Amino acid sequence: MTDDTDGPSRDGAPTDSSERVLLEFEHVDKYFGETHVLKDVSLDVDDGEVCVVVGPSGSGKSTLLRCANRLEEIQNGEIRLDGRSISDPDADINRLRQRIGMVFQSFNLFPHKTALENVTLAPRKVRGIPEAKARQRAEELLADVGLLDQADSYPNQLSGGQQQRVAIARALAMDPKVMLFDEVTSALDPELVGEVLEVMRELAADGMTMMVVTHEMGFAREVGDRIVLMDEGRIVETGDPESFFERPETDRGEQFLSKIL
Amino acid sequence: MADSYSGASPEANAAADGFFDDQTLKYLGVGLSGLFALGIVLLLLYILTSQVNYGLIPTILPQFIRAYGLVLGIVVTSSVLSVTSGIFVGLARVSKTAITSGISAAYVQFFRGTPLLFQIFVVYFGIPTLWPGTFPISDWGIPTAIIALTLNHAAYVGEAVRGGIGAVHEGQMEAARSLGMGYVQAMREVVIPQAWRNALAAVGNDQIILVKDTSLLTVIAVPELIQQFRSVNSATFDPWTPLVLVAIAYLSITIPMGRLVEYLEARSDWGGDSR
Repeated sequence: MTDDTDGPSRDGAPTDSSERVLLEFEHVDKYFGETHVLKDVSLDVDDGEVCVVVGPSGSGKSTLLRCANRLEEIQNGEIRLDGRSISDPDADINRLRQRIGMVFQSFNLFPHKTALENVTLAPRKVRGIPEAKARQRAEELLADVGLLDQADSYPNQLSGGQQQRVAIARALAMDPKVMLFDEVTSALDPELVGEVLEVMRELAADGMTMMVVTHEMGFAREVGDRIVLMDEGRIVETGDPESFFERPETDRGEQFLSKIL
Repeated sequence: MADSYSGASPEANAAADGFFDDQTLKYLGVGLSGLFALGIVLLLLYILTSQVNYGLIPTILPQFIRAYGLVLGIVVTSSVLSVTSGIFVGLARVSKTAITSGISAAYVQFFRGTPLLFQIFVVYFGIPTLWPGTFPISDWGIPTAIIALTLNHAAYVGEAVRGGIGAVHEGQMEAARSLGMGYVQAMREVVIPQAWRNALAAVGNDQIILVKDTSLLTVIAVPELIQQFRSVNSATFDPWTPLVLVAIAYLSITIPMGRLVEYLEARSDWGGDSR
């Protein structure tokens, strides 16, 4: 696919960022058994930044994302959100995770709950927000993702794109400081990809800090403030979208782009 | 392109199988099952018209009704207890704590691995002898029934629940945890409701078996339904009259239970079963 057509290629500089670091990866090492999947990875995601992680499959980009809310444990290094350690075994992970929204490739909506209940569940049960208030907020969020009319539908009555938009609303309901997107369009039929990307585009425009693992290069280029290329467990190149896509600094970057563009 | 698949003719199938085509097979099936059903119906009619002594029924009905009430009481009690404790057995089986999962695995191995009749004997004959002095409970038969049925069926329910939990996609737990829920909360709110739906058919099946397992209690002289058959049969030498009553009694419990399970499954359909 060669769609570098959508979106104006704008200057890669973050517009409204105060340059404050929100999410920090510091010399992170991760092993699956003997396999070394993240090798000394360091990365800062600034407040308000959209950081897009790209790379071939098996490069460790999804694992890096999953480490950011400790769905995977790391063996070395540290990961911090707003200065507070996530990787520390004593960290109050349930509390920290409320600040980190996560959207999955396979949606993972709760099938026994309606769209609305999916969005209200965590605010009610984790935060103890009263039902009526949680409901009101959920309706706002569902309206934001264009699905207020589907509030009472169950996940398997929704299309993949609709499910993924509900999943985004569900994550946003906890008022996270950062949103993690793990290949959220990869399981969708091609014609449903656009509606999900549109929601993400709006979210980015609202100033949400986002870390996005994706194969959608058009989206990466248009919405990303920074592109991070990973390969074999390492970050091989970072740069603003324009320079990354036009003039990659490394041979690996050039090679990667030549395969996908 | 021609639709080379949907257009396949019966002749083509016959040629492929070399034996029956689909149509012949269908008629054969209808014929055989019809013949079987006819045989059963005729046998039943014959029994009901020539073998059952209707004059005997008013005499023996009271003792069957008492037995029916007793069986119902034992079933309801052991059902509630075995499903409740079975859920905990199932949760313990999936525990990441080795001691918990080990103990529950051993529990299941033992109670699934030995006959229920043996377990009834252990409780009925074994337990009272362990008591220093005289065993305080004089009528030990019914408590034995409830204890043995509960322990035995909790093991089966536990396995059904474990299977139900295993069938819940692991992404569900991840999604719940990523929203800030703790393990217990995620299990309660997200995993168990889905696991319960998955386990429902197996649990229902087991509970129907529990109803029929009450018939074993005849060996420790609990006055249940089979016990009534034996007493009537040995007094009158009439097998069919009490047998028919026994059949009606069991089916009047097990058929509604099957319906209940179907209802519960339909209720947790969650907008279609295309999951």
